[in-house]
Amino acid sequence: MSDLQPETLNNPPAAGLSAVTAASETPLAAASKSKNGKKTRPTRSARWNLIPYVLFFVVWEIFSQLNGSLKLFNPLFLPAPSLLLSDGWALAKTGIIVDSLVASSIRIAFGFAIGTFAAILLAVLMSKFQQLERWVSPILSLVSPIPALALLPLFIIWFGIGEFPKVLLIAWTTFVPVLVNTLEGFKSVPSTLIRSALSLGASQRQVFTRVMIPSAVPNLLIGAQISLGLSFSALIVAEMMGADSGLGYIIVDARNYFKISNMFVAIILIGIEYSLFHGLLKLLERRVLAWRRGGMREAVEKG
Amino acid sequence: MKLSVEQVGKRFGDRRILQDVNLTVRENEFVCILGHSGCGKSTLLNMVAGYLFPDEGQIRVDGVPIEGPSKARGMVFQDHALFPWCTVIENISFGPEVQGMPKKKAREAAQSFLSLVGLESYANHYPAELSGGMKQRVGIARALASSPDILLMDEPFGALDILTRDMMQRELRRIYEKLRPTILFVTHSISEAVYLADRVVVMKHGEIADIFEIGIAHPRTYESPGFGEAMARIERVLMKDEEEALA
Repeated sequence: MSDLQPETLNNPPAAGLSAVTAASETPLAAASKSKNGKKTRPTRSARWNLIPYVLFFVVWEIFSQLNGSLKLFNPLFLPAPSLLLSDGWALAKTGIIVDSLVASSIRIAFGFAIGTFAAILLAVLMSKFQQLERWVSPILSLVSPIPALALLPLFIIWFGIGEFPKVLLIAWTTFVPVLVNTLEGFKSVPSTLIRSALSLGASQRQVFTRVMIPSAVPNLLIGAQISLGLSFSALIVAEMMGADSGLGYIIVDARNYFKISNMFVAIILIGIEYSLFHGLLKLLERRVLAWRRGGMREAVEKG
Repeated sequence: MKLSVEQVGKRFGDRRILQDVNLTVRENEFVCILGHSGCGKSTLLNMVAGYLFPDEGQIRVDGVPIEGPSKARGMVFQDHALFPWCTVIENISFGPEVQGMPKKKAREAAQSFLSLVGLESYANHYPAELSGGMKQRVGIARALASSPDILLMDEPFGALDILTRDMMQRELRRIYEKLRPTILFVTHSISEAVYLADRVVVMKHGEIADIFEIGIAHPRTYESPGFGEAMARIERVLMKDEEEALA
């Protein structure tokens, strides 16, 4: 055991380890510390991040107010944020905003979950059964480039204007990127990992559940993130074509009655809702991929 | 446990990798396979592990032909091949767990192997947080935790810096003396082979060129009587053709 001492003491990577951990903690401090219940002051970077948002709306407000008096173009076309706030409040009091948010969230959540689940299931089956992959891949490469939105009118004719075609459309847009990325993840598992699992006595099934799947998770999450963006556009378009609730519906309804401020309210809400879902996904990623380190942040330390 | 490699040959397409290889490894023996890169030494090891199969001849353990990877033959890889999503302790308890040991007991067993390699305080670190030498210690502990009959090591210290490498060689020798496993160790370093092994098998162009018994008492150093001579003799065998080719 005496042999050990020198390495643990002198080995530079070992000594550097604590420094690296400390350095990587700072950017995440706000998120990781508050989880532990420890209250920390907002970091300089977190406070700085708010300023662009504030500035954006301030400039917009000033511009719209100026336009209101100078009449560069019809002031109705670009309402000021303050007006949006009061119109949004009026809209909220009718209950339509909450209803729409709930309706849209449910559609996204279901569509996204179904699409992801189906994609993972097929990816697992395809990587287990070579035959299946041989038959499915060509069809997939034929169908997957078709923009999902092109399918919507067809879905409406087939399934009517209820919830089902909307959820199906979102599921389909989610499905393709998750499937492609997860498959790629399965294929790029380092062979030494599989070999070492086998030499440790793992069965084929254990190799799959304990090596292949965790190894493919990073790719799966990349697919999920691509899908989330696409499925939001699917959601909005689906709600614009034949719906009686949802954020897309507010936009169409506002267009029909020329209520431009309501249109803006819906657009901003879409942005907020997307950020919310994106944030949830990022949170999940941070939890699941806690073992992952590296990237630019750790490549070069910033002063 | 007796490992016997009998008249083994292997081809990849038109290329002959191994030819008429005969080798016996006895219980508790520490054997090094030494050779230039491309001499087929890793291929031989991969066949013993069960990842590849011989085209000619047979490899048997206690008379039974090898049919695939098995927990009886533990492997330590040059790139350590630790599971990056598992902590150090989870990596080491992987073997016992997949073999059906209850999780708690597997963790305890893993803990004792972790102490064996001196990394108790790193149990809950991820591999990415460890240095190269530490990763390889975990790799060794993980392979040992499945209590294999033979430990196969494929240039395990090849990617380490020279000081860490010396340290790891001493470590491995210490572990060997404590547990007395059977070890088949592939390397391209003559000094490493002479330092570690009871027997050094020199391979050239897919064949066994010579086998040397290293009778030097442990602990060995470069100054041990006979160490330099053994290195020189092995080097002569390894370099013979190369010098003829140059002449």
